[in-house]
Amino acid sequence: MRIKQGFLLREVAQSWIVVPIGQRVVEFNGLISLSESGALLWKKLEQNVDKEEELVTVLTEEYEIDAITAKQDVHDFISSLHEKGLLEQWI
Amino acid sequence: MTWGVMSHKLGCIAAEKKIPILGQFELTARCNLQCKMCYVCRNALDKQAISMEKTAKEWIKIAEEAMDAGMLYLLLTGGEVFIRKDFRDIYEELSKMGFIKSIYSNGTMITPQIAKWLGSMPPAQIDITLYGGSPKTYGKVCGDESGFERALQGIDLLLAEGINVQIRTSVIKENQEDFERLAELAEKRGVDLSIVNYISPRREGFCTNPEGERLNPKDLVQYEWRVNNYYHNKMEKSKGEKQNKNSEDELDDFVAQPDDGHPFQCNNGKSSFWITWDGKMIPCSLLDDPYTLPFETGFSQAWRDMTKACSCVLTCSTCKQCSLRDYCMSCPARLKSETGSFTEPASYLCEYAREMYQLSLDNKLTGGLVNEKVHKTYFRND
Ligand SMILES: C[S@@+](CC[C@H](N)C(=O)[O-])C[C@H]1O[C@@H](n2cnc3c(N)ncnc32)[C@H](O)[C@@H]1O
Ligand code: SF4
Ligand code: SF4
Repeated sequence: MRIKQGFLLREVAQSWIVVPIGQRVVEFNGLISLSESGALLWKKLEQNVDKEEELVTVLTEEYEIDAITAKQDVHDFISSLHEKGLLEQWI
Repeated sequence: MTWGVMSHKLGCIAAEKKIPILGQFELTARCNLQCKMCYVCRNALDKQAISMEKTAKEWIKIAEEAMDAGMLYLLLTGGEVFIRKDFRDIYEELSKMGFIKSIYSNGTMITPQIAKWLGSMPPAQIDITLYGGSPKTYGKVCGDESGFERALQGIDLLLAEGINVQIRTSVIKENQEDFERLAELAEKRGVDLSIVNYISPRREGFCTNPEGERLNPKDLVQYEWRVNNYYHNKMEKSKGEKQNKNSEDELDDFVAQPDDGHPFQCNNGKSSFWITWDGKMIPCSLLDDPYTLPFETGFSQAWRDMTKACSCVLTCSTCKQCSLRDYCMSCPARLKSETGSFTEPASYLCEYAREMYQLSLDNKLTGGLVNEKVHKTYFRND
């Protein structure tokens, strides 16, 4: 899975913001704000990610967080990206 | 978090940290219309103006620099942006860069082709100013009767492409009677109407005469009262129905910061800037003092110098102590453009404040604004 083309992650005024670019604005007119860890996962998802575990590792390597919590966080994050239609190749 | 709340939060952080989160690019001073009160316009074919305009390449480069400095919101305005032959090139490049873009236009140059193209990479919002409710008023205000039909057609073409359109108007003597008609035109299209009530003197000398064309303070207050009552009655009628949510959210962006000791109570010179068609960075559309030169010094240096200069602007001591302050719409930029000085009260604004105070007394209203909700929703400061 990966983030669809046409979104740009930007750090603005101490916040992580995702902005649709070019033609993507047609279907998504607005902003998405992400937490620090959300931004970390987003960056990873800009390239193809095969398994959710890869994302769990990203979190556990960066934060002092146990694997179960990280797994839940990743799952929630992915679900919300999916809900918003931001992911392609959903598996 | 909703869009409005998030924008507000971003705006607050940006103002505190002096991050230029909102940029306003005035791509040209030239226009196909010649509105009598315009603070900037030049003739469409003005060779001198054309030669002084910044090129597409220059605008794109300055946008890249502004992006690195934190610009997120970008307004493209003029003059009339669609008069630039290279507007499409500029817009398409900017669209790749990750800005929340909006456009101000008079709508009269929007063809089906332009609407279709814009619809394929739409701005977050396009504001079309309607200058009257009939060809006759357009003739009187803009010098072109055909502008009326063309502007409406432009709006309808944009709406048909699914683009978020807002309608605004700027009130002067010649179109003051048209308010209800304009409100109907907007309502019929399910679009908000906002009103620029304060008409400022020209920023740079040329052939228009805003001060001669704007309403006198008494008439302006009466006009605002009329608008107030119009919407107040509508709201009463449709109580419980959908409120004007979008406009309110959008206003969050522009809520003045709490009094932080800065001469400007708005965000200009703290987190927002304006770049004129000939390349000056200024705090807002009205005020070309202080200014810096971003195309010469680079964006960051220009922004730093401008924020510093704005924080040193002197304020008017008479205004500070004035009992009519709550009824007054003065700010440093308006004082300067009215009087040529930051420290002089402006007679137009004083008279407006007195009239507004009197209206409040007569109608037993509290506070400076006739009806704060209506005012916030329908009157614009820019
Ligand atoms: C200068 S125009 C440029 C964009 C476009 N040509 C338009 O008319 O919307 C931007 C806005 O400023 C308003 N405006 C023009 N002259 C003004 C003045 N002297 N004071 C305040 N607003 C003014 C216009 O009505 C318009 O809504
Ligand atoms: S207000 Fe807009 S439409 Fe009217 S002359 Fe000025 S730039 Fe042109
Ligand atoms: S401009 Fe006039 S009315 Fe307004 S605050 Fe200053 S002195 Fe008072």
